[in-house]
Amino acid sequence: MGLLDKFESARAIREQLSVGGHDPTAVVMEQILSPTEGIVEGRNTILAGTNNYLGLTFDPACVAAARNAIESQGTGTTGSRMANGSFSAHAALEQELADFFKVGHGMVFSTGYAANLGTLVALLNPGDAVLLDADAHASLYDGCQMSGADIFRFRHNDVESLEKRLQRLGERAQDCLIVTEGLYSVMGDCAPLVEIAALKEKYGALLLVDEAHSLGVYGDNGCGVAEAQGVMDQVDFFVGTFSKSLGAMGGFCVSRHPELDLLRYLSRPFIFTASSSPSIIASTHEALKQVKGRPELRETLWRNADRLYQGFNELGFETGPEVSPVVAVKLGAKEAALPFWNQLLEKGVYTNLMVPPASPDQHSYIRCSVSAAHSREQVEQIIEAFGSLKHLLQADG
Amino acid sequence: MNTRIHEIEQRIKLLLASYLESSNHPELEAHGEITGETNLVSDFTMDSFQVMEFMMELEEAFDVMIDMNSLSNTHTVHDLAVIVDKDLSG
Repeated sequence: MGLLDKFESARAIREQLSVGGHDPTAVVMEQILSPTEGIVEGRNTILAGTNNYLGLTFDPACVAAARNAIESQGTGTTGSRMANGSFSAHAALEQELADFFKVGHGMVFSTGYAANLGTLVALLNPGDAVLLDADAHASLYDGCQMSGADIFRFRHNDVESLEKRLQRLGERAQDCLIVTEGLYSVMGDCAPLVEIAALKEKYGALLLVDEAHSLGVYGDNGCGVAEAQGVMDQVDFFVGTFSKSLGAMGGFCVSRHPELDLLRYLSRPFIFTASSSPSIIASTHEALKQVKGRPELRETLWRNADRLYQGFNELGFETGPEVSPVVAVKLGAKEAALPFWNQLLEKGVYTNLMVPPASPDQHSYIRCSVSAAHSREQVEQIIEAFGSLKHLLQADG
Repeated sequence: MNTRIHEIEQRIKLLLASYLESSNHPELEAHGEITGETNLVSDFTMDSFQVMEFMMELEEAFDVMIDMNSLSNTHTVHDLAVIVDKDLSG
């Protein structure tokens, strides 16, 4: 088989996905009008699949901070921090994040993917053991695999399955790392962190929680699911991203362990990546201030999330297990899901289509992410659009 | 082949047949008899999710833990039996 022949299977996948008229993985937004509205194929489209949970991408203070940073510091850093030096704002943001999580130490990465990769490859060595939730994000899988550690999966959010593996590890459990997410991004379900933290304490393991989708959303201060469940002091490493609630791009790891400050010397995804541009760091700094100072954003977000979740349930759709800013609707087979997603787009609602093997089970789902910036009318329009297409699923049986 | 690996292989064949027949995966069809040389991906077109799901079932059935890294060179029922045997041997 030639080097390029493997792309035939990718071509086949693309053709399968495009049968309804659009490739769900390649939607182009011709114009972005607001955090919740864009123009797709000339149509005004409600954006219900962009993870813009707090709607801060157009926040005037965040935009002004980014603009000022460009004017005062330039458009880019032109290299990695270890080779080119750190801008003071990068170091300041690391401290702000550490303070926000009430831990002593922080590191900023250029993307959320790099944060997970960079943290895990430096934390774990070949011969170490990591226990990974089966539904963890690809970046967590990739980081574990790149580290060379022994990777054992436990069933998603299944505390019994986790404990069984800790028991089987025997003495190795004392040095193993448990990896979980706060809020899972496809089904919108939270990890049982109270129980997981209790197991971590019982067996002497370390715990890493990815709060990518829960930062700014859960907890009284917006720190995430660990804060909401009251177990922040039992988490060893928090990782997360700037590209969702904080409306920019980048990632971080914060920890109460002083060794985090040394992690940067061992983390190739940190060492060999150009650092974030000043505008990104500046808008993230401002967005973090908004998270801390405007709890009303979370209130609006949760009101919208609750309405969307209830609205779908009233229409008879099967949704994820709990109300969250990620609302997944189960559609069954891919053959039913594709036309449903396409017609939603044609009705002016952009969502995310998840089909196997990218979905967490054998079913297809449409995933909506709710924003504090969605108006009540937009939320109703999303519900109405789903309702108008319900017959497509019934016809499918 | 030693006796224990043979026994493990027999049990994996049964588990695989049961997995393929489960109502959760009507799209997967067994192509002929399952043997030690049966390849999970090419013989049944299992996708990555299904392979991982089946691994979890094996872990529970044999009360073992399968290191994900060991799966990159694991293709057949026999390969799986060797991995399970290795973990059982401690």
